[in-house]
Order: sequence, then C-alpha cells, then structure tokens
Amino acid sequence: MPSSESLIALKNIDFSYPDGRRVFSDLNLIFRDGQKAGLAGLNGCGKTTLLSVIMGLLYPQRGEVEIFGRARREEKDFKEIRAQMGFVFQDANDQLFCPTVADDIAFGPLNLGASRKEADLIVEKTLALLRLEGFGPRVTYDLSGGEKKLVSIGTALALNPRLLILDEPTTSLDEKTVARLEQILNDCGLPYIIASHDRSFLARTTHLVWTMTEGRLVEG
Amino acid sequence: MPAHHQSLTWSKNMSEHHKSQGKRLARRESALKKADPRLKIIAVVVWSFLLALTEQIGAAMAGLAGSVILAMISGLPAKDILKRLLTVNFFILFLWLVLPFSFSYPGEVMARLGPLEITRQGLRLTCLLTIKGNAVALGAIAFFGASSVFELTAAARRLGAPEKMTAIFVLMFRYVQVIGQECARLRLAMKARGFKPSMSMHSYRSYANLIGMILIRSLDRASRIHAAMRCRGYNGRFWLSGEFNFKKIDWALGSLMILLICGVLAFAFV
Amino acid sequence: MHISEGVLSAPVLICGAALALGGMAKGLRAVGEDDIPKAAVLAAVFFVASLIHVNIGPGSAHLILSGLIGLFLGWAAFPVIFAGLLLQGILFQFGGLTVLGVNTFNMAFPAMALGLLLRKGINSQRKAAAFAAAFICGGGSILLSSLLVALALFLTGREFKFVALEIMLANLPIMIIEGLMCALVVGFLAKVRPALLTGEALGFEKPAKA
Repeated sequence: MPSSESLIALKNIDFSYPDGRRVFSDLNLIFRDGQKAGLAGLNGCGKTTLLSVIMGLLYPQRGEVEIFGRARREEKDFKEIRAQMGFVFQDANDQLFCPTVADDIAFGPLNLGASRKEADLIVEKTLALLRLEGFGPRVTYDLSGGEKKLVSIGTALALNPRLLILDEPTTSLDEKTVARLEQILNDCGLPYIIASHDRSFLARTTHLVWTMTEGRLVEG
Repeated sequence: MPAHHQSLTWSKNMSEHHKSQGKRLARRESALKKADPRLKIIAVVVWSFLLALTEQIGAAMAGLAGSVILAMISGLPAKDILKRLLTVNFFILFLWLVLPFSFSYPGEVMARLGPLEITRQGLRLTCLLTIKGNAVALGAIAFFGASSVFELTAAARRLGAPEKMTAIFVLMFRYVQVIGQECARLRLAMKARGFKPSMSMHSYRSYANLIGMILIRSLDRASRIHAAMRCRGYNGRFWLSGEFNFKKIDWALGSLMILLICGVLAFAFV
Repeated sequence: MHISEGVLSAPVLICGAALALGGMAKGLRAVGEDDIPKAAVLAAVFFVASLIHVNIGPGSAHLILSGLIGLFLGWAAFPVIFAGLLLQGILFQFGGLTVLGVNTFNMAFPAMALGLLLRKGINSQRKAAAFAAAFICGGGSILLSSLLVALALFLTGREFKFVALEIMLANLPIMIIEGLMCALVVGFLAKVRPALLTGEALGFEKPAKA
C-alpha cells in the first residue's frame, strides 16, 4: 500500500488506570487513509482502552496522540474531530440511547448542524445502506441484537466520518448478521479499525492486523 | 403499597407494556390514540384537576360518566382498565377503614357498626372521594393507555417542558428497559442458586447486593452512554422528534372535552 | 405512601406543586449537560429497584430507596423522583397527575436533606457509624416523608387525622426495611467500589470533569 496521509498516529503512549493497573507502555501505531486494520488480542488486554485513547475519551500519561495530522491534547482538540471518526461501541445498548431508530441515526447529524429535513434524508439513506428500510420509527428496545448492531453502525455512518472504529462488532451476533456486517463494511468504502478477538473475522475484513501483547502492538 | 405478589411482577409489567405498545400499531386504532398528544396532555391535566377539586357528589358522578366515555373511546380492553382501577381502589380502601366513622368525622350519626358510629358527613365525604378517585384514575388510564411514553415526552417538550427534564425522562425510560432486563437476569441467577425470598437478614442482604451490583454496572454504563453521546457531537441538545398537527379528530376530541367539562361544572353550580 | 387523587385540597396541591417546582429548578441546575446520562441512568436504576418487592411479615412491599437517591443525587433527587413518579403514573396508568407535585416534594425533600447531611457519615471509618448513618438516611427519609404526607392530609382537613395516622402506621415497617436496605447497599458499595461513595462520585453539586 502506498504511504498515504496518516489519519491516526500514536507515539510512545503510556497508559495506566487510576488504580495503578498498567495497560500500555511505549505503544506506537500509525493508521493511514485507505487502510483496513484489525486490532487483535485477548479479552481484557486493553483493546477498548486503546480505542478510547484514540477517541480522546481517555488521556495517556505520556506520549502523543495525533489525529488527522494534528496533535490532540485536550477535550477541545478532540471535540472538533470526534464525530469524524465514527465510533461503534461494543454494547449497542450504550450507543443507542434514543427512543427510535430514526432519532438515534439523526442525533449526530443534528448535533453537527443539519436541519431536521437534511437529518431525515440522512436517516433514509443510512437505512437504505444498511438494508433496513422502514426501520426509522421502530423503537430501539424492540430490535433484535443483530439489528441493534447494524443500527449502531448506521449512527456512526450517518456522521459522514472519515473512518470507522469498531469495538468487538461481532460479539454475540449470528452468522447471518456477521455476513451483513461484512457486506456493509465493504460497501461503505471507508478506512476502518476493528478491535476483535475473532481472528477469522479480522482475516476476512482487514488487510493488516496488530496484535496487542504486554502493552505493545505487534504487526501480524 | 400495592400488594402485588413478589416474584418478577415488575418485569412482567414492563414487557406487557411493550407488547401492548408494539401491538398497538397493528391493533385497531382508537380516536384517543390518533389524537394529537399535545391535546391529550392538556386534556388529561385539566380533566384530572377539575375532578380532583370537585366538592359535589353530583358533579363527581358526572365526571365519572365523562371518564367512562373517555375510556370507551380509548380502545383499551375493559379487562385491563378494571385491573388498573383495582389498584387505585386498594388505596381508597384505607379511607373506608376510618373516614366514615364518628371518631374521624363527628356529625349526625346515621348507623352503627358495633361500637362504631357512621356519620352522614363522614359517609358522604368517603363516597365523594371514592367517586372522584375512580373518575380521575379512569380518565388518566384512558389517556395514558392510548399514548406512548415517547410521544408524550416529545409533546411535553413542544409544550415548553425544559429540555434537561425531557432528556432525563426519555433516557430514563430507555434504560429502565435495559437495566430491568439486567436485573431480571441477576434475579434468575439468584433463583438458580436456590435463593428464596423470605423475611430474613440473608434475604435482605441478597437484595441489597443485587441493587448495589446494578448500581455499579449502571454507573459504568452511564459513562459509556455519555461517551457515545460525545462521539456523536453531543453539545447539550437532546433532540426529540415528532411531528404534531391538529387534525379533524383533535377538533372532535377538543369539543368533547369542553362538553364534558361544562357538564361537570353545570352539576357543580346548579 | 402515595395519596390517592381527589383527597387533598386545592391550597395543599398548589403549595406542594410550587415547592416541588422550586426543588426541581434547583435540582436541574445542579445537573450539568454532561451529567444528564448519569442522572437518567440513576433514575432508571431506582425505578427498576422500586419494582422489587421484599417480604415484610405476611405481606410484601416494594422498595422505595429514597434515602439512597438523596445520597447519590442531592438536589437532583427532585427531578429524578419526579420522573420516576410520572413514569409510574403513565406505565401503570393510574395517573397521579394532581398529586404529582405533593408526592414529589414529600419524597424528594427528606431524601435530599438527609442525603446531603449524611454523605460524610456514610464514609465514616468506623463501620458501625457508617452503617448507622446509612440506616438513618434510608429510614429517616421514609419517616419524614410519611410525616409530610400526614401534614398534607391534616392541612386538608381535621377529619383526615386518622387516615394520616393509618398511613404513618403502615409505613413503620417500611421505614425499618428501607433503613436496613440503604445501610446494606452502602455497605456493599463500600466493599466492592468504595470510590462510588466518596464526595466526588456523589451528587452533581460540583461541575463534572470532561
């Protein structure tokens, strides 16, 4: 792959939790435009923590987080770009906090300044991409686990992001939904990072895989 | 305190509510269901206060009749309505235990029950409160049964309720469902390990652990929800969708309400 | 604890509603934009918990946990308890609209006052003192709430004094259970996640960190 613009660069990151548990020491990562990357590792090895550092939801004790070519140090820096990195949480119930599917998909665009009409259009387009036409007025609570996951991805796609970041997207999904998920990832045409312990899923959806062991990333 | 039996009553209530909300779309529509939720909120508030403050038995009876009409156009099954009313009357029972008697309400004695004297004034007040209580409750059952929580919240926001309050309310309702399921799973796990509720320290401690566990998990969840909101550009606005328009049916419902209100007032002042 | 509709007089209803509105305004101001999810999720937890019935003597009663609400939410107990009561009225469909103000105030005020007062106490190093503080917070909230209910009835008319007495008596066992439950939950949290009980985690009176 030709070396294109780096979207995310982590340099010499150290991170420990307040209780002293060390998660990374001197971690480095570069993610470039056009890449499809996987982040593998055992449960509890720090995949979610790493994604949270990228999203500016947690701050490292040492090192530099660079997103879209600029160092990001405080909430203000992250606030302006967070919505450009469509983040999909592991538990769809955390991501989908609105009454209906349409409300949830529209939440991001409305925050970013879309009018109600534009937001409605985005909802329609997003649902079409997910092949969930007609799901707009459905109450989130009544969706199946698979549908919730797809809508979660829809809420991220609706932001019109420059990349997607997915945390354990296949957890407790059946094969059919996993296949649809692969299809959507393929269709959306965005670069993405997927954290997953499911190596075969990563093999099918990504070009390169980082493995997290003992607080560092190893390619392969 | 409603004397529901212990067990998983609450989760049953919750899923019943959801089933009925889901089914509602398929089930035959009723006039009250189709009405503008803004009108429904105003109507149920005015109607409730009017009846609650009525002092005359005649007016209260007229109100009860009005609530029966509202219940009839709500499209709710009679069985459900009666079940709800039963709970209300459980509270009213407390009044009947003391209020009709002379020790509560001294006055003209009209009958004796053992050593107790029933006074005309006491009996009249208890009857009035019973009729009013049922009339208000029946009206509320009709209106709330024919609306969804989300639709009512969006309408309340449109009517000027503060955004923070409606946001808390909507999020609360959303997570009552999620946390309710979590709670049900934990209780099932307790049951599977032989837990039987009783009046013992062990039993109370088990419930306390359950609640503590749910608290911890839910506070963690709250910070994840907050993160999810920030990831989508949250800046303090909590958008509620819902288009409202005043339709023919709303003119009809509005007129009916005015008619009913006038009816009650007529009995009150004539 | 609830007063059925149609019992209280107009002045009492209006007074209760005004006091509740004041408390809610102050409570909502305490809840920052970034605290909304926490307040809402706590409201949901207490709503779910209030659907749990525990055995008392031959019968059972549902939990209220207003003391815990006060500990965790401070002034924000007002909007949270209001939301809970309103949802109860809509979901179980017996309304309670006219007494919503009075009921909110009756439950939220003691919870808020005792919660704020006893936050230090539940963090006491001495286990017995912490237990006692939490017990007083849980049981005391119910005691004061039922006194307020009695007061509302008494202000409506002297003929309700026996109804008021009845409600107080019915609440006695609940008071003890609520004190015990509050103390046990606080004890559990002190063991499992003590950070949740420290000043920073409790309430919204300080601006939240981003």
